[in-house]
Amino acid sequence: MNFKIDFKSGKPVYLQLVDQVRYATASGVLRAGEALPSIRPLAEELRVNRNTIAKAYTELETLGVIESLPGKGSFVKAAAPVFTKPVREKLLLKEIEQAIVVAHHLGIDRSTFLSLVEERLDHFQRKNGKSDE
Amino acid sequence: MKEPPKPVIHVEKLVRRFGHLDAVNGLNLTVRPGRCHGFFGRNGAGKTTTIKCLLNLLRPTAGRIEVFGLAPQQHDVAIKARIAYVPDAVAFYPWMTVSGTLEYLASFRTHWNRDIEADLLKRFQLDPNQKASNLSKGQRTQLALIGAICPEPELLLLDEPTSGLDPIVRREFIETVIGAYQSGDPENRTVFVSTHLITEFEGLIDEFTIIEQGREVLAMDADRARSRFQKIRARFRGVPPALELEGALSVRTTGRELEVLADGSAERVTAQLSSASPESLESESLTLEEIFIASPTLSRAVLS
Repeated sequence: MNFKIDFKSGKPVYLQLVDQVRYATASGVLRAGEALPSIRPLAEELRVNRNTIAKAYTELETLGVIESLPGKGSFVKAAAPVFTKPVREKLLLKEIEQAIVVAHHLGIDRSTFLSLVEERLDHFQRKNGKSDE
Repeated sequence: MKEPPKPVIHVEKLVRRFGHLDAVNGLNLTVRPGRCHGFFGRNGAGKTTTIKCLLNLLRPTAGRIEVFGLAPQQHDVAIKARIAYVPDAVAFYPWMTVSGTLEYLASFRTHWNRDIEADLLKRFQLDPNQKASNLSKGQRTQLALIGAICPEPELLLLDEPTSGLDPIVRREFIETVIGAYQSGDPENRTVFVSTHLITEFEGLIDEFTIIEQGREVLAMDADRARSRFQKIRARFRGVPPALELEGALSVRTTGRELEVLADGSAERVTAQLSSASPESLESESLTLEEIFIASPTLSRAVLS
């Protein structure tokens, strides 16, 4: 997969990597069992501190997105939720609230907001080639 | 609570005078282990003088220096055994070959990684039998970098290492510092780099100190600095309204556009601007280079 770092986004570099891997797994660009590039070549290629990549991979492991096998590398895990349903919903609500705040400041009304959400859900579902229950 | 690890470099109120010139004038500096610390300053700000004091090549006029918790003047060899240094202009004995030069450098070291030496010679396509006098500036820097990385030092001091080199050599230089050096034992590989070419080192640097007239003006974590300092641009249909913007460090008006520098208050500033219904409204973080250029303004905000 193709990582892109944007120093003007204001988001810590390691979090940009975390989000890009999460996006790629959610949209089916990375599938369960697929390997992520190892730390050193990726750090060299992006010309990013080696520790930044290591921190991103540790975070992805904590989130249950990837697993690291010593001597073998890091692999995408099958989407098995690590948290209970109420916790998962709470985590998602935080993100949704943030999107609502942004929508408010951009003057996006309720129906446009909802239809955009629908549109994105369809988009990811199509990319993934399977339906989410 | 675990005690924070001892800093690799600790400088307090360092002063170094040359006659009537205060090259370094009360500098404080702390570099933690395993980090890559950028040292930014204009020409004559005191960067090289500071580094020479760290290396015990210059005696401080006043102040305290500790490298690995030791004073450079009393523990010259003990410190030098654990560090490597690449200056901006490297010179070798002209009659020595590439491999002869590396042999010579290795003879001063208790540890020398032959595998890294072979890898890097191949990567840089350096001919071991070439005379040092026939090397280009780029090749001399590459040779100096090999000489600095093979002993696998705990601290790598780089003083304007890539100035005057072509873009390909500069890129390889940074990749090598990340790959061959940092990956060895990440917890104990500290980089201290003084540079003007901030953009090229942006991804490598995780904390920085900006020095001006021999004194630090801003020392921060790179991610934190980028999320804290934002530039917000709003374009209006007519002349921008006169707004009393809370949380703005500076406001510049050019034509119909308003450019605001915000310090950790980008959302507040954006909300205030959007209530004045601009045509367009954008915000982005300052890069490290932009932070360096704006540092006189920013440091006032941080200190106040």
